[in-house]
Amino acid sequence: MNKALFLREMKKSAKLLLLFAAVITLYVSCIIYLYDPETTEMLNRFVEVMPELMAAVGMGTIAGDLLEFMVSYLYGFILLIFPMLFCILRANGLIAKYVDGGAMLWLTAAPVKRRKIAFTQMTVLVCGILLLLIYTTALEFFIASLLFPGELMLRELLLVNLGLLAMHFFLGGICFFASCTFSDTRLSLAVGAGLPTLMFVFQMIANVGGNLRWIRFLSAFTLFDPTGLIAEKTGAAMGLIGLLLGGLLLYPAGIAVFCKKDLAI
Amino acid sequence: MDAVCVEHLSRDFGQNRGIFDLTFSIPEGEAFGLLGPNGAGKTTLIRHLMGFLRPKSGSCHIAGKDCWAHSDLVQKQVGYIPGEIAFFEDLSGIEFLRFIENYRGVFAVRQKELLERFELDPKVKLKRMSKGTKQKVAIVAALMQDPQILILDEPTSGLDPLMQNRFVELIREEKERGKTILLSSHLFEEVERTCDRVGMIRAGSFAAVDTIETLRQRHLRSYTVTLESEEKAQAFARDFSGICNGTCVTISARLSLEEIFMDYYGGGVEQ
Repeated sequence: MNKALFLREMKKSAKLLLLFAAVITLYVSCIIYLYDPETTEMLNRFVEVMPELMAAVGMGTIAGDLLEFMVSYLYGFILLIFPMLFCILRANGLIAKYVDGGAMLWLTAAPVKRRKIAFTQMTVLVCGILLLLIYTTALEFFIASLLFPGELMLRELLLVNLGLLAMHFFLGGICFFASCTFSDTRLSLAVGAGLPTLMFVFQMIANVGGNLRWIRFLSAFTLFDPTGLIAEKTGAAMGLIGLLLGGLLLYPAGIAVFCKKDLAI
Repeated sequence: MDAVCVEHLSRDFGQNRGIFDLTFSIPEGEAFGLLGPNGAGKTTLIRHLMGFLRPKSGSCHIAGKDCWAHSDLVQKQVGYIPGEIAFFEDLSGIEFLRFIENYRGVFAVRQKELLERFELDPKVKLKRMSKGTKQKVAIVAALMQDPQILILDEPTSGLDPLMQNRFVELIREEKERGKTILLSSHLFEEVERTCDRVGMIRAGSFAAVDTIETLRQRHLRSYTVTLESEEKAQAFARDFSGICNGTCVTISARLSLEEIFMDYYGGGVEQ
């Protein structure tokens, strides 16, 4: 890893991280604040009245305790979308944007192997995801302890967020691979943003149920099953491992492609 | 050992574009000029030397090391001024130079001297800089760590004549200090003033590789003029720097590189 590059890129990540942390803070505190038996009943009434719409945004389950409530209202949309956006923007900026714009020449015209450049950029992306999710976990635990002391089990929260981390590690892998492969930012974004978004849409369609439930097999989001993780089900654990393995495959593949490709810079 | 060695390097981009079977070498301490019109393949050749492109056939070595497989070792010794300069637009000039220093991990011994030499104020944001100022930043970035081999792709583009002169002086000094230099240009004067040998590249192949002197000799034309009196002959010889021999004066017209160049290219520039 190259320290100078790592520091520069982490500094660039910081702005985006602060922005997303602020948005997540807003949503997480609002949702946890909303947790109270009466509002839960109201939201549940929404689910009864318009089950398709609520299911589409991942708010299908009738929530019981605080964590289940959070799983319904945070882990189906907010905590999937915002870290995913971070992955898309940052991954594209770490490699493809430099190649497309030509500034990559300063990185390659130096006694630093391409493998090292790509590895450094990968570390920056993964660190960003990690920081965002560690912050989210701490925030959730802090706000829950403040508003509803003793309601949120740390062990269960950690299990769910470990799954969330695996999910975003995998999504980051897709974005990073696209960024390494395409020298044109438009293509890098088309694949790096398009594929995760498409899978997310599939997930929404599948959540609605009906004849299209099979479509969930086309979406990696199916592998992230928070309710299963809380219940410590084997299937959910397998999904988590699958996501991790997928990520562990995608990042090195991206690095390998970047090492071998021609750079017209 | 040759500092730069290119053997049968080819890269076909189709439609006659690319480089075809280029072979040449630059001994240590020599300044080699690469002359050719736009699209002749100069930058493609340099991108191979820099390890940006992998040779499809043939090979290139710098200081005995393969430019693709050991690009990191090669880059240790190389200072590079790119033909198309793109920066990290979010940085100021000095921040950028500091980043390059740390990133390459070599102390920038000559930074201050070079900044003064090119009268560059590096505190300005890179995106606010004019083309010429950006070029100066690239020059400083390439030379500040005092590399042994210089690869310069149209290094004076955007510079005013005064700064072009300063750059030519700098390159001459570098040559005196034993640096190996590859200079790509379409400024004939620049090459003529700095380089020992020139490769004229056209449509991806060398039209000629020779020393500047040989090229001139080959295109040397001399005329002998007979004048009425010796006095007139002497005056004539003085005015036109000819050689006086009685009433006869021999004048040689050395073609400029530009004229030689047009000779090889037959006036028009083909693809």
